Amino acid sequence: MAPSSSSGLTFKLHPLVIVNISDHYTRVKTQLNPPASICASGHGSNNGEAMIQQNPRVYGCVIGVQRGRTVEIFNSFELLYDPSTQTLDRSFLEKKQELYKKVFPDFYILGWYSTGSDAEESDMHIHRALMDINESPVYVLLNPAINHAQKDLPVTIYESELHVIDGIPQLIFVHTSYTIETVEAERISVDHVAHLKPSDGGSAATQLAAHLTGIHSAIKMLNSRIRVLYQYLAAMQKDDIPCDNSLLRQVSSLLRRLPAMESERFQDNFLMEYNDKLLITYLAMITTCSSNMNEMVDKFNTAYDRNTRRGGRTAFM
Amino acid sequence: MDIEQKQAEIIDQLVKRASTCKPEALGPLIIEATSHPSLFAFSEILALPTVAQLQGTTDSVYLDVLRLFAHGTWGDYKCNASRIPQLSPDQILKLKQLTVLTLAESNKVLPYDTLMVELDVTNVRQLEDFLINECMYAGIVRGKLDQLKRCFEVPFAAGRDLRPGQLGNMLDTLSNWLNTSENLLISIQDKIKWADSMSEMDKKHRKEAEEGVEEVKKSLSMKRE
Repeated sequence: MAPSSSSGLTFKLHPLVIVNISDHYTRVKTQLNPPASICASGHGSNNGEAMIQQNPRVYGCVIGVQRGRTVEIFNSFELLYDPSTQTLDRSFLEKKQELYKKVFPDFYILGWYSTGSDAEESDMHIHRALMDINESPVYVLLNPAINHAQKDLPVTIYESELHVIDGIPQLIFVHTSYTIETVEAERISVDHVAHLKPSDGGSAATQLAAHLTGIHSAIKMLNSRIRVLYQYLAAMQKDDIPCDNSLLRQVSSLLRRLPAMESERFQDNFLMEYNDKLLITYLAMITTCSSNMNEMVDKFNTAYDRNTRRGGRTAFM
Repeated sequence: MDIEQKQAEIIDQLVKRASTCKPEALGPLIIEATSHPSLFAFSEILALPTVAQLQGTTDSVYLDVLRLFAHGTWGDYKCNASRIPQLSPDQILKLKQLTVLTLAESNKVLPYDTLMVELDVTNVRQLEDFLINECMYAGIVRGKLDQLKRCFEVPFAAGRDLRPGQLGNMLDTLSNWLNTSENLLISIQDKIKWADSMSEMDKKHRKEAEEGVEEVKKSLSMKRE
């Protein structure tokens, strides 16, 4: 149901939209299933209802700017969904649109979003309803199921196109590709979210582990990209692919930058700083140890020496 | 990366012209290519079959010129000056730029003395002017001039055309890089496990100490009773 789009529009998605959608979904989900009363009883009989409760679908509107062939989606807001008529609440939409217009006069309603694993038939109703605001709205779908093996974002963007199926022209959803575009401010917040430590993360070991995990994933990405380059060059050497000289030149210029840090001065400075840090840690350890020792001796004196102490120093050890 | 983009159009144009024009016209075409101020890549033109046919004919000197510009340096030109026709000032400038690129291949820190010898420049001022105007503003190298130590540090230099044997070297370097990063990944994982196990041991130790304290408190209070 989702072949590739042929409209030629390029889509740019801001991370704010993704964060908003996932935030909306998480809020609704936790409000429906408060952690204290996870329905253990509902598992047997009304499995279907429990499923819907577990994964509520949320709906909302995305806004942004369309310049020529580029569609840039900046922001989003939530909308009320009426399951009986299967439409979105229109008056609320228009009120919100007015409010946003006052603050961002350039932003237009570009489409709508929802959560789920795939686009459904009922989505077409909502899509058609929005078509009178924007002739070709976009449908952003977020898949909230966490899949650790998946490397890409679980966000898909669909456009509607008129295709002739069985002789009847019908509107169907088609996939479009998109790129993620960030502004500096967004990059800071995304970085912040990516480095969230657990709330009690006071212990040094967990902080160290979290920091190291971050470095580990970064190096793993670098590793996979170098591997791609390596396989490409190996194939070129075996003449499986024709030589692309421009690429070879770029790779050779890149490889010449290695090793990135090898001068003597770097080694000296690095070792000096390393030794300084070790010394300071050692010094701090010694200070803590000696203060602990001092306390222990005081406690020992108070505990065992009440009878014999009379001003002079007696051998009590 | 941007240099490649700048060159890509020029290379396409020249390749189209070279493949369609007659062999006699290839000579002036080669001269034009080697004097073009933003063109530093010649392997595409070298790879054309019409150009390769020049070998052995009277115009084979042009082929030599092209090869010199693709792989050679100013020093090579001086040694073989008899076989190669006189170069125009544009070409001389370009050859010197390509020499700097070749030197940057082997070392990241180029002493002024070596540069002065290779480029036939007598004083430091001329050398620095050449490096700044011709190399850095053209975008083929990025680096820092260290006057106190009289050297030129080059963290980035554009790529020259590849000699046939260099592909093997590049593959070796890449595989070394891969191995190093994999080892690093493994050692980071070990460190993470170590940090976790250390914190586990610490928690256990703390718990045992507290349990000991509780026991002693209980036994003391029982003794009192």
